[in-house]
Formats: sequence, structure tokens, C-alpha cells
Amino acid sequence: MLSKLNSFFSSVKLAIFLFISIAVVSIIGTFINQGNTMAQYKIIYGAKVFATLYWLGFLNIYNSWYFIGLAALLMINLLTASINRFPRTLSAVFGPYPSFKEAAEKKSPKAVYESFESKQGIFEVVSVLKGVFGSPLKESNAPVSGEKELYYSKNSIFRFSSYIAHLSVIIIIIGVLLTVKYGFRSYTNIKVGEKTNVSYLIENNKPIKLPFTIRLDKYETKYYPDGIPKSYISKISIIKRHTRVLTKDIKVNHPLTYNGITIYQSSYGHYKPAAARLLVLNLKNRNYKRAIDARPGTFYDLKKENIRFKFTLKKNPKKSEVPFFIAVYNNKNKKDFQKLNFNILPVKNHNHKVPLIFAKYQNTVFLYNGIKNYYYSGVEITKNSYTSVVWVGSIILIIALFFSFFFNQQETWARLMPKNGGEVVGVEILSIPRKKFPSFYRKFGEKIANIKNKLNLI
Amino acid sequence: MISPNVSVLDGSLFFTISLIFILLSFIGYFSFIFSGNKPIAKLSFVALIITLAIQTFAFAQRWIYAYKIGINTPPLVDLYDSLVFFAYVIILGFIFIRIFYDFDALGFIITLVSALALVFASFSPLAPSAIEPTIPALQSYWLLYHIVTLFIAYGAFGASFGLGILYLFKYKKESGHLKKEGRFLGLLPPSAIIDEAIYKVIVFGLLFLTAGIVIGAAWADSAWGGFWSWDPKETWSLITWLTYILFIHARVTKGWGGKRMAWIAVIGFAVVIFCYLGVDLIIPGLHSYATPGSTPVL
Repeated sequence: MLSKLNSFFSSVKLAIFLFISIAVVSIIGTFINQGNTMAQYKIIYGAKVFATLYWLGFLNIYNSWYFIGLAALLMINLLTASINRFPRTLSAVFGPYPSFKEAAEKKSPKAVYESFESKQGIFEVVSVLKGVFGSPLKESNAPVSGEKELYYSKNSIFRFSSYIAHLSVIIIIIGVLLTVKYGFRSYTNIKVGEKTNVSYLIENNKPIKLPFTIRLDKYETKYYPDGIPKSYISKISIIKRHTRVLTKDIKVNHPLTYNGITIYQSSYGHYKPAAARLLVLNLKNRNYKRAIDARPGTFYDLKKENIRFKFTLKKNPKKSEVPFFIAVYNNKNKKDFQKLNFNILPVKNHNHKVPLIFAKYQNTVFLYNGIKNYYYSGVEITKNSYTSVVWVGSIILIIALFFSFFFNQQETWARLMPKNGGEVVGVEILSIPRKKFPSFYRKFGEKIANIKNKLNLI
Repeated sequence: MISPNVSVLDGSLFFTISLIFILLSFIGYFSFIFSGNKPIAKLSFVALIITLAIQTFAFAQRWIYAYKIGINTPPLVDLYDSLVFFAYVIILGFIFIRIFYDFDALGFIITLVSALALVFASFSPLAPSAIEPTIPALQSYWLLYHIVTLFIAYGAFGASFGLGILYLFKYKKESGHLKKEGRFLGLLPPSAIIDEAIYKVIVFGLLFLTAGIVIGAAWADSAWGGFWSWDPKETWSLITWLTYILFIHARVTKGWGGKRMAWIAVIGFAVVIFCYLGVDLIIPGLHSYATPGSTPVL
């Protein structure tokens, strides 16, 4: 019973079945969008279909019990197969090596056999064999019959590479599990100038407290000349116990790591509409100065001047004109309304020509000083201290695959038997490759021809 | 003075010119499988080497031009880039195989796949040849290693697909199912030799596929904060990997002979093509050449 179970769990057929099953389940996952919210799914599929898909686990398929079950089964399969086959490999590499007779009795379909007789002495034949096959791994003599046996094993050490490849898969899986268990992936949005120490887990939006505070000092999008974004840059400061520890620009592909926690640039946006930065001056009162970030469509009161104004964008501006104007209302006389267009005045400033954009209402001057954007930056904050385990496993996997694929193994036995009272030597050569490739049999044939040639048999 | 056309500067004209040579090579190889005329196969091979030379030049030209206009990423970014590179590595792969094996009969499949990729790149409106500035997510040194390793794998799998088809033809003849003795089948090496070539080409591809996926995961980790996000492209790369891993394991199973292996090689390439193009074109809005990855906004 136990041996039946063992042979089931360690069979290659189970592995093949699991590869196909995991692939099929994965395919389903790529056609049904994963990770949406329940409400979104209900809208996409309708209530009935949603209920079915939910019951089948198709909406979070990579965390479903059957997907994890298949993966776990594959690990068991991999482990039991490796453990079952390992002792055989150990003896194949380090011995005891099978004799000619034992190897011949296995009747491997891959085996190739050659026999001939030589009139030369046994020692001459051995030296010819050694000239072609090299020095043997094992040489044995039967004292009574004068029989001699040579054993060769090429690249046998690389038999371990497939075990190492399987082991590395387990290392990768361990790395993944450690990352899931002890790491987190979260996101948070920070407004420019503000700080936070709370982040939200990506999987369930639960808030977590970070061991330090993050402040967003600045956010900037850089563009190529044709308007395609070139980079998204957030200037991030890490604050610990009210002290700024470090400041760094982060952008996509260039995160910041501090105390094992990594902060990635992930998204950005506006948390309120952009505003025009206006400087309001009074021509008669030189001390009067007010900076207003005026959002389009909002009224701003200038009590001293007794006016209210509204910054407005023009609907169809001409190319030559300033695309916005200011609507001014008199607080005393509600019907007194004036539309102020902006004028452009080129001013020389440090040898640069800077356009001065302004609008005038009686003694009040509105100086346009550019656009103020209210940015927030979306950052992903992750902790995965065990990723290195995954990378180590991956590198071992690649190296092991290389050695297991490109170093073919083969075993060769040669048995020499004195016949007719030592007049002739009967030579039998048996070779078993690991992979049944025509190139192996061709080379074997060449070697045999070489030996026969040297023994003057051809 | 004639002002140089953009298609000359960005190399796309040369890719289109190389298409002429691939087509010549294809016609040669196609007539070879009916005539068995060795000089024709030799000429086709020469045409293929010329194609490779032109394309190598075109790549260099495109890279230098991209660099000149201020784009510091190699020209392996959009669909056009990837299709011409695909055509390139498939030809390169065949030339390598041709050096080791007498596989002239493989030529017509390879040149056909390569020509199809180039025709798609040169004439489809889905794949404009203009060099666009690289979006922030792709501005990374990982890009080159990720794409080159994966496309070497794609090239190998393309070759194994062709070999798989040849095997199935040859096998049918050898097992006596095919009564009529065509000249084409006579030209093919014995099925056992094709089988060995399939194995060698696939393990070569699998090695590069594994490396490419690992590099992609490392890139995702450094750009997005997670090495695996079950993005459809990632998932399909896993499915491709599983297909070829299955190939490796199935070989040692009793009863899985060369015929099934050849079928896996053929089906495996279909999976590769779906992973490469299908995911972008069929599964909508999740992963495309313009905005790869599962990044929320950027």
C-alpha cells in the first residue's frame, strides 16, 4: 500500500498531469480579470454569473484552494521523486559500480553492444581501449579465468544537476512563501508638502503603520518635447522621531530603500483642480501685496478693494491671445461687472526676456505667475526581505539546468576474456547513454572502428 | 540636396529591404523541397546570410538613431521593434542549426515564419515603425537583458516548431503510413536525428526562457515592488515555461516517443506565439507593448 502510494507520488506521470492542470488553471486566470472588487465583478458579469464564478473561485484563482493544492502536490511529487531516485544516483556516481553482467542483464533499450576477437595479447588490447576511452573509473581482474573488466562513466557527476535544479525550485517556493508571510505590499497617496506613516495593503486595503514617516517634498512630471511623459519624480524625505533622516528623488525603476522597506513611484494625480498663481498689487498703496492661488470658477474676495473676482478660462482662445481672463464684480454695485483681459509685456530681467502677464482694474493689478498644481504622489511601499532567497534559487536553477541539459552522461563497460587457452581475446563492449541520441551511437560506432583499426581487425 | 528620409535614418527601410531577401530565400527553400536541388538551397542560405547582414546593419542604425534623438533605451520597445527582432533571431537560430546539421528542408518553415513577422511589422498599422520616446516604466537597463534572453528563447522555439513539423512528416513516412514517396521526405534526415535536434534546440530555448523570466521578475521587483503579480503576460510566460518543462519530463516517461515530443514542440510554439502576441492583442487592456506591466497608472 505504502509503496503504491510512494510510486504514485513520485511518478513522472503525476508531474505531467500537474503541469497540464496548473497551466489550464492559469489560463482561466488570464481570461477572467483578477483582483477587481465584488461590486466591479457584479457590474461586469451580472449577479448570476458572478455568483457562479465566485463559487468556482475563478475571481481569485491564484489563491484558490485547488490552485494552491495543485502547487503543493507538485512540490510533494518533486520531493518524493528526488528522494526515491537519489540513492541510485549516489551509487551511480560514487559506486559501487555495476559490473558488465549486471548492466547487460538490465537490457536497457538504449544500450549498444559490440563484440569481437583479437589475436593480440590482453595487455595490448587494454592499452588500445585506454587509448580510445581514456583511463577507466574501475578496473577489475578475475584471477582464475584471467578475465578483465573496465568501467567508464562520462559526466556522471552532472547527474546531480537535475536534483539541484529541483532543489532550487523548492528554494524559490520557500522564498515566495517567506515573502508572503513576512513581507507586505502596500500603497499610499501623499499630497505635496504633507507626510504620512500609514499605508494600505494592496490585497485588502487594510491600513498598516510604518516604522517611520514619509514626507513628499515635491512632485514633478518631466516631458519629452512632443508631450510624452519622460519621468515622474517624487522628492521623498524619511522622518524618524521628528528628524529628517534622508531625502531622495524616486522615480519609476529607481525606488528608495530604507530599513528594509522600499518605496516605489507608482502613480500621481491632482487632489484639486490646478490654480493660477496670482499676485494682486495696488498701484497707490505700495505695501499692499496679496498672493492668491485662484482656481477657475471660484470667487475670491478682495475686501480692501471692495471687489470680488473670478479667474476664468476662455472657451475658444485664439493662438495669439492669453487663454484666460478675470471677471471682476464690484461688491457695492452688483451690476458692475468687468471682463479683464491680460496683457503681455516683455521685460528684461538678468538679460533674459521674461513676459510679464498682467491685467489691470482701476488701481488693482493682477500679475499672473504661472500655474499651481495640487499634486499627490501615489507610492507603493513594500517589505520583502526574503526576495534574495528567490534570486539565489533562480540563479541555482539556471546553472543547474545548463549542466543537466548540456552534459550528457554515458556508462561504458568493456569485458576482456582470454579464449582458446590465451590465443585470442574476446572483447565485449557495452555502452548505455542517458539520452537515446543518434549522435551518441554514431560516436560509439566511430570509437569501435578506431579500436578495430588499432587492433588490425579491419 | 535630397534630405534623408526618416525610414533610412531609423533603419526601417533596411528591414523592409531585407524582407525581399527573405522572400527570395523562402522561394528557394520552397522549391528545394520539391526539386532537391542542392545549389538552390545553397543560394537560399546565402540570401539568408545577406538578410541577416542587412538586419544587423538596420539594428545598429536604429539604435544609433534612437540615441541621437535623445532616447537612451535600445530599440526593443514597441511592437515593430519586437517583430523585427523576432524575425532576426529566428533567422539567426536557423543559421546556427544549419551549421551543425544538414537541415536545408527546415529552411522554408523558418523563412516563412520570419517573413510573416517582418510583413506584419512592415505593413500592419498596429506596428508603426517610428521610434517613440520610451515611457518611464521601460527606462531601465533590465530591458535589454530581459528582451534579448527571451527572444533568443523565442528563436529557438521557432526552430523547434519547424523541426517538429519535419519530424511528423518523416515519422509518418518511416512508419509506413505514407504510401507515396515524395522527394521532400527523402531529403530529410532520419527522424531520430530530427528528434535529437528538437531536444537540443528546446533545452537551449528553455534555458534562455528561464533566464528571461527571472530577469523579468527581478525587473518587476525593482520597478513595481513585486517579482510576480499574475499579470497575464507573466502568467502566460509561466504557461510557456510549464509546456517546455513538460517536454523535458515527458521524454523520460515510457510510451512518450518522438512523435509526442514533436507535437509538444509544435504546440509549445503556439503557446509562445500566444504569450508573445496573443496576450497583447486578445486579452484587452491589461498588457500591451505601449504600457507594459501591471503598474496602476504609470
